Amino acid sequence: MSDAMINLLLSALWETMIMTFGSGAIACALGIPLGIALHVSKPGQIWEHAAFNKILGTVVNIGRSIPFIILLVAIIPFTRMVVGTSIGTVAAVVPLTVAAIPFVARLMEGALMEIPAGLVEAAQAMGARRLQIVTKVLLPEALPGMLNGIIITLVTLVNYSAMAGAIGGGGLGDVGIRYGYQRFDPQIMLITVVMLVVLVQIIQSAGERLVAYVDHR
Amino acid sequence: MKLGFKSFATLSVLASALALTGCGEQAKDTAEAAAAKPLRLGVIAGAEEQVAEIAVKVAKEQYNLDVELVSFSDYVTPNVALNDGSLDINAFQHQPYLDKQIEDRGYDLVAVGNTFVYPIAAYSKVIKSLDELEDGAKVAVPNDPTNLGRTLLLLEQQGLIEVDDAVGLEATTLNITANPKELNIIELEAPQLPRSLDDVAFAVINTTYASQIDLLPGRDSLFVEDKESPYVNLIVARKDNQNDERVQTFIKAYQSEEVYQAALELFKGGVVKGW
Repeated sequence: MSDAMINLLLSALWETMIMTFGSGAIACALGIPLGIALHVSKPGQIWEHAAFNKILGTVVNIGRSIPFIILLVAIIPFTRMVVGTSIGTVAAVVPLTVAAIPFVARLMEGALMEIPAGLVEAAQAMGARRLQIVTKVLLPEALPGMLNGIIITLVTLVNYSAMAGAIGGGGLGDVGIRYGYQRFDPQIMLITVVMLVVLVQIIQSAGERLVAYVDHR
Repeated sequence: MKLGFKSFATLSVLASALALTGCGEQAKDTAEAAAAKPLRLGVIAGAEEQVAEIAVKVAKEQYNLDVELVSFSDYVTPNVALNDGSLDINAFQHQPYLDKQIEDRGYDLVAVGNTFVYPIAAYSKVIKSLDELEDGAKVAVPNDPTNLGRTLLLLEQQGLIEVDDAVGLEATTLNITANPKELNIIELEAPQLPRSLDDVAFAVINTTYASQIDLLPGRDSLFVEDKESPYVNLIVARKDNQNDERVQTFIKAYQSEEVYQAALELFKGGVVKGW
């Protein structure tokens, strides 16, 4: 294999990392509060508000139903507004983030639902304010489940980033398609797939260790 | 000529079977009364056929040569028919396709003249000429093997980059040996290219996609492929009739101003003269 090809694979790996962790971080920053809002506004929860919950839930569902490859090209004007360009790795982070936010929100909501209702009731009985319940009860108790959700999100983003080639995002998936598939080079295809497998394994096992570390159950 | 080889495979098997059943007699006929019969020209039905009709008219009016048009709806049969003598010439393909057909099927066919280039061209919303191109500028190009190679050859011809000659038509960005302006070449899906114009110094776009946002190679391009393009379309004959006087006469008729004007109109400016 030529030096040029090795450089191509290394820069593709770097691009995949930027897309995965860049959009993952932003999506968590926005998706976690959204997931909490989804959970606490449900009937029977501490900030119960049926209409708000319904609207939020619908918006999240709409976000989750748009196929990523369509989202990628459909929000080009928005992407250009945010990062100043619609093509390249940085530009790909925008649609990846937009796609991941509702995904993170639902996973966070799921993690929060795992908390026994009795815990919240006990905190209320002790006079905890609602914000305190969120920060002192819900978040610490749901932390392992939330971390697990973040790992799932990151692995999904590795997967989605393969489609970013359509807007010049690069990355391993793009190299696999263009050099492996379109140019009939099975060696390149295999190498990109192996690199992706290793990347996902690292994310998964590092994540599991982190979950085990914070899980006091 | 736009080719989807695989999609034509099934069709062509059917079509060539049809063509082959009738060709034995025709070949004999052609040999017997070659001079008296009109020159038989194979074309693809549609706009290219309409252009050929003008060439036929010119041949009759200016050179007193009778030409009979035979139109096809696939890209394989015109070569089968030419090779077996049912046609005298055809005009529908470019050299890379002809080379592949000859390699696959062992035809005794040879290009005798150029028709048109249906070009790829560079468009810009930012610069008016290449002199304004800054070092390190972003340049968008198609990412599929054929069009990427074609684009890199065009950039090389414009003196922007140098490409390893050994690679041939399907060069990739890895085969760029010199890039003095350090252009940042971004490979995109072809339909994405017109939409990238706001973000790059220029984008190289096939006429198919450029025309959809009303950009025409002749009118709006920064630079465009010329007749030196390997993708110039050809008039093709057999080796045994390539020097036939009628063939040479027809080439003159095709390569005329009338035909060029007709093609410009029919393809809405999306052609470059190949002669």
